[in-house]
Amino acid sequence: MSHIRKGLYLSCALTLLIWLNYLFLHEEMLFVFLLFSLFFLLIALASRIDNVASANIKYKTGEATQVVDDELIHSVIFELQQFIHQEVDIVEKELLRTKMLVSDAVTGISESFKHLQNLSEEQQQMIQVLISQSGSMGDGKGASLDSFVADSNKTLDDFVGVIINTSKQSLETMVYTDDMVAQFDSIFKLLSQVEGLASQTNLLALNAAIEAARAGEAGRGFAVVANEVRSLSVGSTDLNEDIRTEINKAKGIIAKLRQSVEIMASADMTSTLEAKDKMIVMMSHVEDVNNQTNQSVEELAIIAPKITEAVSVGVRSLQFEDLTRQSLESLQMNVSSLHEISDALATFDKNPDIAIHQQLIKLKTTCQQVYYETRQSEDSRSVKQLNMDEGEIELF
Amino acid sequence: MTVSSKFSADAKQFVIAIDQRFDFSLHQQFREAYNSVTNQGLKYILDLSQTEYMDSSALGMILLLKDHVQLYSGSLTISKPSETVNKILKIAQFQRLMTIE
Repeated sequence: MSHIRKGLYLSCALTLLIWLNYLFLHEEMLFVFLLFSLFFLLIALASRIDNVASANIKYKTGEATQVVDDELIHSVIFELQQFIHQEVDIVEKELLRTKMLVSDAVTGISESFKHLQNLSEEQQQMIQVLISQSGSMGDGKGASLDSFVADSNKTLDDFVGVIINTSKQSLETMVYTDDMVAQFDSIFKLLSQVEGLASQTNLLALNAAIEAARAGEAGRGFAVVANEVRSLSVGSTDLNEDIRTEINKAKGIIAKLRQSVEIMASADMTSTLEAKDKMIVMMSHVEDVNNQTNQSVEELAIIAPKITEAVSVGVRSLQFEDLTRQSLESLQMNVSSLHEISDALATFDKNPDIAIHQQLIKLKTTCQQVYYETRQSEDSRSVKQLNMDEGEIELF
Repeated sequence: MTVSSKFSADAKQFVIAIDQRFDFSLHQQFREAYNSVTNQGLKYILDLSQTEYMDSSALGMILLLKDHVQLYSGSLTISKPSETVNKILKIAQFQRLMTIE
């Protein structure tokens, strides 16, 4: 525009010179020269104005008169290109970093979920083993603790039965022993009678000896017989005494027998009572333990599928990584679009020969093209995007 | 430490009462108390309300009494045993053999 202004000042100066020549010099050659100069200058200006006007119309800015320096445009566009390039580079780097971070984190989380599930299964199996072992006594025959306690209880009852029977039998033995003692007493009575007989015999022998002495020589033989009878009665008394002693010994043995039968018969039941009480406590304890174990098994049976369910939900939730990756890839596409714009801006500086408005038009076309491309890919992307809850469960 | 026995007024029941300790030392007295009683269908009542201690020989004696009672088609009831005595009777499972009240 400054060229046009200079041209107009020059044409004004030429017109003033023509007027000066016409009024004071009257030089015909100078007049013709000045007039021609003015003519060509005006033609040149007219063409220049035409260019500027047509350019203003094409930009449709409504400010046809606005004057912009080409250098300024170049510098502004250069700065803009530099700025966009830098920002886009940063965004691209951050995108890559985010993608890697998300991918690493998801791999780690899914592995730990998998591990968690395995551990839970292992735990469940161990608990099952533990439960089956706690029920049995470990002899491999499936004898359970409660059956052991029941057996012990039965054994105790049998034991009590044996004790009572022993007592009963001992008491019966006692009756027979008492009868035997009574028999001994009657033997003693008989022995007394035998003793009486012996003493009577002794007395008779004594009388016979006296009568034999009175008879003198004639009774001598009879005296010998009487003496023999007397010694027999004394022997009989000695024998009786021996029998009495032996039977008394037998009575002493029977007294000892009574003592041992008494010990056999009278067992103290206190320890048995205590054992029975302990057995009752133990049975109720075993029952409690059984109930508790059963309850724990039921609770564990509920918890195990809950853990599996929670892990499944976690694994399903991890599919956000897939969606995030899609989003990030789409963002990368947007960034590459920005790169295209940036490259188009870079051509401004490289081609100073092409007219600025043509370059701007080219830039505009590029922008529109990139805009449509981005729009299209955005549309297809929104169709592909899925809801996370609808995804299949997939272990990474 | 004695055993007392008597017939009821109508002579249908025969009551044997035991003192504090019911053990082997009573076996002769106990046997003598019932041995001469031979009435048919008699109701025997063993009164243990005073008894505090009982050993296995007492259980044996009761079983012998039971045999005697059965021999004469009678019935045997153990009357008012203390808590300890009742426990011993339960362990011996006497409630299956006779009435305990």
